[in-house]
Amino acid sequence: MRRTLGTLLLLVSMYIKSQMEYRGAFWLDRLAQIVSYGAVLLGMWILLQKFQLLGGWNWPELALLFSFQLLAYALGASVSFTQLRNLDDLVRLGTLDALLTKPINTWAYLIFSGLNIGYAGHIILAIPVLVWALLAAQVSWSIGTALFFVGSLLSAMSVTGAVITMIGATAMIWVRSNHLFAIFFGFWELTRYPLNIFPAGIQAVMLTIVPLAYISAVPVAVLLDKPVPLLGDFAWLAALLAGPLLTLIAIAHWRYAMSRYQGAGG
Amino acid sequence: MTALIEARGVSKRFRQHRRFPGLLGAFKTLVTTEYSEVTAVADIGFDIAAGEAVGYLGPNGAGKSTMIKMMTGILVPSDGTLSVLGRTPHLERMANARQIGVVFGQRSQLWWDLPLIDSFTLHQRIYDIPLARYQDNLARFSELLDLKPFLDRAVRQLSLGQRMRAEIVMSLLHDPKILFLDEPTIGLDVVAKDAVRRFLAEINRERGVTIILTTHDLQDIETICPRLIMVDQAKLIFDGELGKLRSALGSARRLTLEFATDPGPVILSTATLTSDDGLIKHYLLERDDVSLVQVLSEVGNDRDLKDVALHEPNIEEVIRSFYQRRNTAAAITP
Repeated sequence: MRRTLGTLLLLVSMYIKSQMEYRGAFWLDRLAQIVSYGAVLLGMWILLQKFQLLGGWNWPELALLFSFQLLAYALGASVSFTQLRNLDDLVRLGTLDALLTKPINTWAYLIFSGLNIGYAGHIILAIPVLVWALLAAQVSWSIGTALFFVGSLLSAMSVTGAVITMIGATAMIWVRSNHLFAIFFGFWELTRYPLNIFPAGIQAVMLTIVPLAYISAVPVAVLLDKPVPLLGDFAWLAALLAGPLLTLIAIAHWRYAMSRYQGAGG
Repeated sequence: MTALIEARGVSKRFRQHRRFPGLLGAFKTLVTTEYSEVTAVADIGFDIAAGEAVGYLGPNGAGKSTMIKMMTGILVPSDGTLSVLGRTPHLERMANARQIGVVFGQRSQLWWDLPLIDSFTLHQRIYDIPLARYQDNLARFSELLDLKPFLDRAVRQLSLGQRMRAEIVMSLLHDPKILFLDEPTIGLDVVAKDAVRRFLAEINRERGVTIILTTHDLQDIETICPRLIMVDQAKLIFDGELGKLRSALGSARRLTLEFATDPGPVILSTATLTSDDGLIKHYLLERDDVSLVQVLSEVGNDRDLKDVALHEPNIEEVIRSFYQRRNTAAAITP
């Protein structure tokens, strides 16, 4: 176990070392990310100056939703997205075949060999906004609320990682998975807004088939004591359980996809 | 001798949705529910003993890589049984991985942006190689394949030949019992090919590492592998010593007779005239049991024969003529 952990840490350090080969590009990318997400936040602020409320949510509450979503996404995606987005390339080019001949867990190798420090930009922007919003919004703090905040953030992170893992794993069956990532990001953009502003159909989809509402809208609504469509009083439990449950489903799906792997020919 | 690898009636079929030609066909391909089955490996069986070096040869699409992927546990056979080091490869992929080395000629396992030595260090950790053993192997192999000058250079700065030498060294660092190589000399220049071939032959001879090598390049097989397994259209067509391939595939020898004066057409029962340039005539000796002496005695002494040349077909010609005959047969068979 200790040896495996050592190997995985070596993988992480090798990945960071290889990223630092292109240091200039790395920091420029981070700056671009901060500016681009900052622009989205600014857009929301301008909108709220005009309308005061969006679906009953005021500016600090929306800033909390935005920053919670960005942080949970950055933490979840750093252990999944770049690595598994490239999985269809690894399948198509046959690189996955070489990886399968190594005596190491394939998922762990992929994740740790690409542990993405590139999400630093998201985190640098999200944390100060989150801290400000938590203080400015009307959160009735207690030990329970604090525990819920940490638990639901971890759960939201797991939801991100699990959904991305499931999408990435389909590359082992269908060779390509990019179209599914496009759908993922389509819904992901919606998670910056309160769930109640969408039609009932979209709400239902985001709570079930594409369960991205658990990344932000559900936990933040619970935190602010706002009603959550369809889930009602069970929203807090659903927010906490979504991560572990989807992680288990993602593990099963990954195993299934590995068993169906046929290579890409050649 | 017990076999390290046993294949019995191994087949692999892939299911693909049907593809239709043309623009309309492209749309039809998108929605079709029709599937076709492609057989990549059909009913193949062989035993490979410890210490053997076996060349696995065949044209593109003959199922060579698929067989390697089944033996290394990446793919699951559709039929038959396969045992590698006493294990079923796809069921015990991780356990087998520690005792095999795999090199894919066109798929690098090295870290592109980092010094070469970093990839080797990671390999040592993943395979849990005792440090002293790792250092011994690295020193020995690096010397044999002359890696020392570029161990600290980023992989992206290495030539294809240097990278392939590095891939092969890495695959051997954990003392594997079997080394699988899928087209290891593809794209290499003559010098690099030669270095790789001589190294593999030495590793096989001195360390007793069993080698299974797929290639298009017959020189690889002539240098490294005394035994040849040849596949074509998913089926096994030859398994034996390289020297016996010619008689097995029935490739003809060529005979050239040069006369001092044109004797006119010389038709023989022992050889078939293929071209007649007057003084020089070319024949094919299609039967193996016909000797040169028999042919010459049929030509006789009264025809003013000046010179004789008999061409044994090299292995490349043997295989080429086999494929040509197969394609001709396919063309005339509806």
